Amino acid sequence: MRVEQALRLLPTLEALMPLRGLLLSSARPDERVQWGSGGPYLTVGKRDVEPGELARSMGPVLGDVAKHIGALFGAYVEALERQERNDAPGAVTALVGAGRLEEKVGRLSQALGWYEVALALAETLQDRRPEVETLLATGDVCLELGRYAEGARHYQRALVLSEGEFNQAGAVDASVGLGNTAFERAEWSGARAWYSRALRLTEAGNDRLRLGLIEHRLGLLDRRQGDLAAAGDHLRRARECFEALNGDAALEMARVLDAQGELDAALGRPAPAAGAFREALAWVRRDQHDAGLDVTIRLHLAELLLGTGRWLEAEEEMRRAEQLAITSNQTRGLVQIYTLLGTLRGRQGDETGFVFFEQAIALCRALEGPPIDEARIYQAYGLFRQVCGGPDEARAYLERAGEIFRSLGVDEEVERVAAALRNSHDVNTPAAGAG
Amino acid sequence: MTRPAQTLNGPPSPSRPAIEAVRVLAVGGEAGPGPLQGLRQWAAELGVELEWAADLPRATRLLAGGHWQLVLAVLGDRSDEELTWWVDALRGAAGGPRLVALADRPSMGLALRAEKLGVLDVLALPLKRDALAAALARVRAATTEVAVPLPPIDAEAQGHYALVGQSPAMLEVYKLMARVAHSTATVLILGESGTGKEVVARTIHQHGPASGPFVAVNCAAIPENLLESELFGHEKGAFTGAVARKIGRFEQAGGGTLFLDEIADMSLALQAKILRAVQEREIERVGGGESIPVTVRLIAATNRNLQEAIAQGRFREDLYYRLAVVTIELPRLVDRGDDLLLLIGHFARQFGERYHKQIDALSDRALELLRNHQWVGNVRELRNVIERAAIVVSDGTLRSEHLPDDLRAQEPGVPERTAGVLPTLAEAEARHIARVLSHTGGQIGAAADILGIHRNTLTRKMKEYGL
Repeated sequence: MRVEQALRLLPTLEALMPLRGLLLSSARPDERVQWGSGGPYLTVGKRDVEPGELARSMGPVLGDVAKHIGALFGAYVEALERQERNDAPGAVTALVGAGRLEEKVGRLSQALGWYEVALALAETLQDRRPEVETLLATGDVCLELGRYAEGARHYQRALVLSEGEFNQAGAVDASVGLGNTAFERAEWSGARAWYSRALRLTEAGNDRLRLGLIEHRLGLLDRRQGDLAAAGDHLRRARECFEALNGDAALEMARVLDAQGELDAALGRPAPAAGAFREALAWVRRDQHDAGLDVTIRLHLAELLLGTGRWLEAEEEMRRAEQLAITSNQTRGLVQIYTLLGTLRGRQGDETGFVFFEQAIALCRALEGPPIDEARIYQAYGLFRQVCGGPDEARAYLERAGEIFRSLGVDEEVERVAAALRNSHDVNTPAAGAG
Repeated sequence: MTRPAQTLNGPPSPSRPAIEAVRVLAVGGEAGPGPLQGLRQWAAELGVELEWAADLPRATRLLAGGHWQLVLAVLGDRSDEELTWWVDALRGAAGGPRLVALADRPSMGLALRAEKLGVLDVLALPLKRDALAAALARVRAATTEVAVPLPPIDAEAQGHYALVGQSPAMLEVYKLMARVAHSTATVLILGESGTGKEVVARTIHQHGPASGPFVAVNCAAIPENLLESELFGHEKGAFTGAVARKIGRFEQAGGGTLFLDEIADMSLALQAKILRAVQEREIERVGGGESIPVTVRLIAATNRNLQEAIAQGRFREDLYYRLAVVTIELPRLVDRGDDLLLLIGHFARQFGERYHKQIDALSDRALELLRNHQWVGNVRELRNVIERAAIVVSDGTLRSEHLPDDLRAQEPGVPERTAGVLPTLAEAEARHIARVLSHTGGQIGAAADILGIHRNTLTRKMKEYGL
């Protein structure tokens, strides 16, 4: 049975989300279909799922679910016990711990629920450190969910409290959080001010990890602003910081190398870029394997190949990322992969590529992904329709993307969408001014 | 070693790069005493130029900076995952290095997976000199390939939609095509995946009387819930996401040909609507009440057995008879004899042009590998293999090193993993189970049916053999 048929029989209930995940991750492509004319358009919905195999795989998944819920129950009981012993900071730590467990399995809204409870308790304490910790955790999740304004409020409060308490680490993390929020909203000068502030605070100490993280962010910022030489310097310094940690920062190293790859790509140096991405993948593999990061790096590698016209290799890389995203339940990554596969088909002038955007939208909605993801799909879908026919649809999709970006306050993207819409208008009104 | 050159057209032009030493990158283990102890001392006598990388990131840097022929990678606890990672990491690396995976106690499952992925060998640790020597011999064997010129292709057969092939099976196809092209009869094209059903449909359209466009719809690719609106169109607001009125493919193909590929993948409900469109020659857009007349020639295709689908109640018999006015069955690539060579030549030139390379020869070993391959994906798979080879080839000759790992895994003359020793019953059984599972695309139920055992027995055996 096809996944798309199986999903229709599964109600959208929170309790069944692990089953939904299992259904997707156990789906296999049919080899005959892979080589069929539908093969180039295969998405997870067109994979096969075998009820018997699904039943057999349920045991370990149910075990994981029980373990996760057990850990949440445990955290809650610990919070109660701490509270009874008048150890409210300990109770906050236990509640934040539960939120982090939720984050680890990608349940961001549920994590926010724990943080809200922790925050309410932390606000009653004289010691402000638990509150700072909770505010920072809340800010991070808001950022991940694309709730930028809300995230900024939490970081701002964490900063004020940290500075009042001479909590340098808290102030640095809050500044970085504010910088990240500004970065996501394309507020470059704001982001730079926050990162610079964090850098000043960190340089006084010898915290190589935080220093490396800030240098990395500054590198990303310079790249976005077009100062590629400065970006290269920051990324080199970030790498030096992480190298000094003797392999204890493998994932951070992978992220910096990923950024280096993107920088090399922007500099028109595809070979070093590919080398950096490959090394980044090796760092991910070296440490605790982070499937989400692995998928991200592969997507960047695929974008590089796509940009240099190496379509076959780009598609192979996307398909490898897809396989990894499916087996490791990285649904958000899957959404990005299908958006990119749709873009690839658009470059090839292949109209049937629209199936990838439709699958990305369906996945994004089914899993209640952040609105920024949906906006990006519509943006790419609109551009695809401009090239592959369907001007009315192109306009409608771009307008939808613009609305979402506007609601999130991402002005740079709003402007980009507006430019695409103007372009669409120009293309569709050739008679304008032509007499 | 002198291999007899195969003459395709004219005498072969030998090209034998002399390799004095094999460049080997060893990854993991320790440079000193450890599971790879001895590697350094054997290096000189075995003709190995050895470099050591302590971990993956360093190995990746060395791979990017040099030309390697063999990578010896020590696998850890997650050997299956690591094996896949290595195969992926070496793809496209300069020199097309082969992989030898080293593991403490390699399971049969690991060995079979390695074989499927095209890994040169899986060796047990501690590494033995003879095992390494055998792997090196296989790497060296690949350097004695002889270049053979590719056959010339008829200029007419080089267009985008041209059909390449002169085998008797294809000549039969051409005859049928010629017979139906000048009519407007509905045609059903049958054939395995990748045999060229759409190419045939386009050619029939091009040589037919219809002046309208050729519109192709891939029924297997489009999500079921969208297929109806894709075929018949929709009115604005007919459903969530219907942001504007859409003209369907039936209307788009007006006066021309509508090609419905993979028609067996359509739901019964949609089959009924197609039948109505064929019979009544009119359609209705989704969300619209108006009947719209359509004049199209219909060509349908499938890789499935429609008679079987009818018997199982998955395909409408009345629709089948409407579609199968004329049936053309396309041959599998393995049944097309020397068409394989013509197609290789055709694709090599096509992709040579695309990637700005002059490809005019193929090595004898590469040809042997291509001839021995099963070609599940038929011409589409061959096209993909030659495109990939065209990307990585650096001179004018496609050699075995340019072919995908899974093809190279079938190198003729390559000994079984247990060289010189007959396999045990368990090894033979594991190998056969793996082969059947591969054939069924991993579907346990179907594999159990083929093997004639209960699925629980198969599951137990898979667990036992680490498959």
